[in-house]
Amino acid sequence: MSASTLTPIPAAATKAAELPLLQRIVRTLLTQRVALLGVLIVVVLAVMMSLDTAGMLSGSYDTDYLASTLISAVPVAILGFAQLIVILSGKAGIDLSVGAVVSISGVVFGFSYGVWGLGLVPAILLTALTGVVCGAINGYLIAYIGFPPLIATLATFYALKSLAMVVSGQRPINSQTIQDFYSAARPVELPLIGQYLPDFPMAVFTFLLPAVVLMWLLLNRTAYGRRAYAIGTNDDAAKWAGIDTRRTRLIAYITAGGLASMAAVVIVAQFASARPDAGTAGNGLALPAITIAVLGGVAITGGIGRVAGVLLATLLVVWLNAGLLLAIPGNPGTQMQLLAMGVMLIGAALLNNYASKRYGIVK
Amino acid sequence: MTTTTIPVKADLTSKVKGRILPPLVTGQEYVLIGIIVALWALLGVFTPAFLTAGSVVPLLVAVAPVALVGVGMTFVIITAGIDVSVGAATMVAAVVVAKAMVALGLPLIPAVLLAMAIGGVLGLINGVLIAYGRIHPIIITFGTANLFMYLGLQIFGSSTVNNIPSTFAIFGRGEEGRTLGIPHSFLITLIVLGAAWWFLRHRPSGRHLLAIGGNENAARLAGVKVKQLLVSAYTLTGLLIGLGACFTLGMGTSTLDQGVGVGRELAVIAAVVIGGTSVLGGRGSVLGTLLGAILVQTVTSGVTQLGWPSQLSDLFVGLAIILAVGTDIIRERARKKTS
Repeated sequence: MSASTLTPIPAAATKAAELPLLQRIVRTLLTQRVALLGVLIVVVLAVMMSLDTAGMLSGSYDTDYLASTLISAVPVAILGFAQLIVILSGKAGIDLSVGAVVSISGVVFGFSYGVWGLGLVPAILLTALTGVVCGAINGYLIAYIGFPPLIATLATFYALKSLAMVVSGQRPINSQTIQDFYSAARPVELPLIGQYLPDFPMAVFTFLLPAVVLMWLLLNRTAYGRRAYAIGTNDDAAKWAGIDTRRTRLIAYITAGGLASMAAVVIVAQFASARPDAGTAGNGLALPAITIAVLGGVAITGGIGRVAGVLLATLLVVWLNAGLLLAIPGNPGTQMQLLAMGVMLIGAALLNNYASKRYGIVK
Repeated sequence: MTTTTIPVKADLTSKVKGRILPPLVTGQEYVLIGIIVALWALLGVFTPAFLTAGSVVPLLVAVAPVALVGVGMTFVIITAGIDVSVGAATMVAAVVVAKAMVALGLPLIPAVLLAMAIGGVLGLINGVLIAYGRIHPIIITFGTANLFMYLGLQIFGSSTVNNIPSTFAIFGRGEEGRTLGIPHSFLITLIVLGAAWWFLRHRPSGRHLLAIGGNENAARLAGVKVKQLLVSAYTLTGLLIGLGACFTLGMGTSTLDQGVGVGRELAVIAAVVIGGTSVLGGRGSVLGTLLGAILVQTVTSGVTQLGWPSQLSDLFVGLAIILAVGTDIIRERARKKTS
C-alpha cells in the first residue's frame, strides 16, 4: 500500500532531474519569479558598475550610493506590500487609494508631530490609526457591501485626496520638528560592524525591515495568512471550508491602509515636509505600487504572491532607476525610468503568460 | 411528458424575449437625472449665476471630452476590461497635434484626423496586447500608460509647446465654439453618444460586446469574435481620446504644458461607473456615462461657484461614486431576490 502511494512522487522528481541543466535553469527562471528577479538585479548591478568603471556615469555607482538610494525603496516596498495583500485577497482586489491614504496620513502625522507637539510614538500611532480607518472604509465597502475593489478605492482615492488638501489648506507642514525629522531618512553608520559596511538610511531599519518581517510572518506563519491565500485562490471554496471570507478580506484592506500610513511617515522624513499631495501629485503612488507588486510576481487574479518577490522587485526598480539617473542626467533620465517601468511590467506579464502555458503554475 | 414541457419552454422564451432589450432609460439613469436636476435647482437658488449661459456653456464644454472618451471607456468596461492609459494617450495626441500645428500650420480637419489617428494607434496597441497577449487589461494599460507617458514627454522635450494657433477655438468656450448657443464639442459628443447608444442596443456586435463582458468563454463558444471585438473597443477608445485631446486643446490657451491629460483616466472611469456601468462587465449604458460626466462637472462647478475650496469637489465626487454604485448594488441585489 505505502509503496504504491509513494511511487508517483519519485517518478515526477526524477523526470524533472533528468532534464538537461540549461533547460532546468530556464524553467526555474520562468516559473520562479524570485529567481528571475535575483538574476535581473545582478545583471543591472553588473552593467551599471561596468559603466561606472568605464567612466560613463555622472556619479559613482558604488555600494555607498546603492545603500543611500534605499531610502526611496522604503515607501515603494511598503506600498508594494499593501498591494500584495489586497491583490492576494482576490475578487479583483486592488487598492487605488494608497496614494491618497499616504497624503492624508502624512498630513495627520505633520499636524500631530509637527504642530500639536505630540511625541513621536503617539504621533505615529495616530497616523497608523488614520491609515487603518481609511483601510477599514475600503474593506467594509468591498467585503460587506459588495463594491468592486476598483470602484470603492477609486471613490476613497478622490475623497481622501480632497480631504488631505482641504484640511491642510493646501499648504505643506514643515515646522522645525518636521524638518528635524529628516534625520530618520539620513544614512547612519551601524554600531559595531558599521565601519565595514556602507551607511544605510535609518528608515531601512526602523520601517522597511520590520515591515518585511511582519508581512512575511503574517502571510506565511499565521492562520490569517493561510486564509488570505485561500480566499484569493477560490472564494467559494474558502467559504465552504468555514472561512469568514468577508472578515478576512476586510483585514487585508485594513492592513493595506496601515502600511500606507507607515509609508507616509517615511515620505515625510524623506522630504522633511508633510505635503498634502505627497501621494497624489502627478500620477500618484498607486501606479508604481501596483507595478512593483505585479513585477514581484503577484497574480492580479488573486491567491499568488510572495513578500520576497515584492521586495526584490523594489530593489530591482530602485537600483535600476538610480543607475539610469547617473547614466542619463536630468529630465531624460527620469523619463527613461518610465520606459523601463512600462517595458518591465508588460514583459513580466507576457513572460508569466508564456511560462504558465508551458509549465503550468508560476510562483 | 412532452405535453408538459412544451408550454413551459414557450413561456420561458417569451419571458426572456421581453427582457433582452433593457428599457430606454434605466433605473440608475432616472436616479442620476433626479440628482442632477435637484443639484441644478439648488445651485440656481443659491448662486444666481449658475443657470446662466455664462456658466452652463463652460460646464458642457468641460463635460464633452470626459463624456466622449467615456463612450469608449463604457465599451471597454462592458467587456469587463479597463483602460488606465487614457491620460497618457491624451498627452501624446495633444502634444503631437500641438507641435504639428505650430510647425506646419495644420488646418482643422487634418489636425483632428491626425489626433484621432495617433489615439487610434495607441488604442490598437492596447487592444492587440490585451486580446492576443491574453493579459489582464489593467496590467497592460498600466504598462502602456508608462510607455505613452515616456513617449509624450520625449516629444515635449523639456519645455512647453508655445504659440499654438487657435484652430481648435471651434471646440472652445468662446463665441466661435457655439452654434445657436450650443457648444460644438458637446454637440459632437451627443452625436457620437447617440450612435454608440444605437450600436450597443441594436447591432449584433454591440450585443456581442455585452456578451463578452457577461461571460467571455460562453461568448466565444457561441461564435462571437471575441478578439476582434476587444481590439475594436480599445481602438475606438483611442480614436475618441484623439478627438477629446482636440477638445482639450480648444479649451486651453496657446500654451500646452506637460500636465495635459493627468488624471483623465480616473475622471472618465468615475463618470462611467457613476453612470451605472458595471466594472464586472456585461451591463452598462453610454447615456449613464453622459449623466455621470455631467454630475461630476456640476459638482465641480458648483463647489467653485459657491466659493468653497475647489479641492473640496473631489470629496463630493468620491461620495457620488459610493452613492451611485451603492444604490446600484442594492437594487441589483433586490432584483436578483425577486427573480
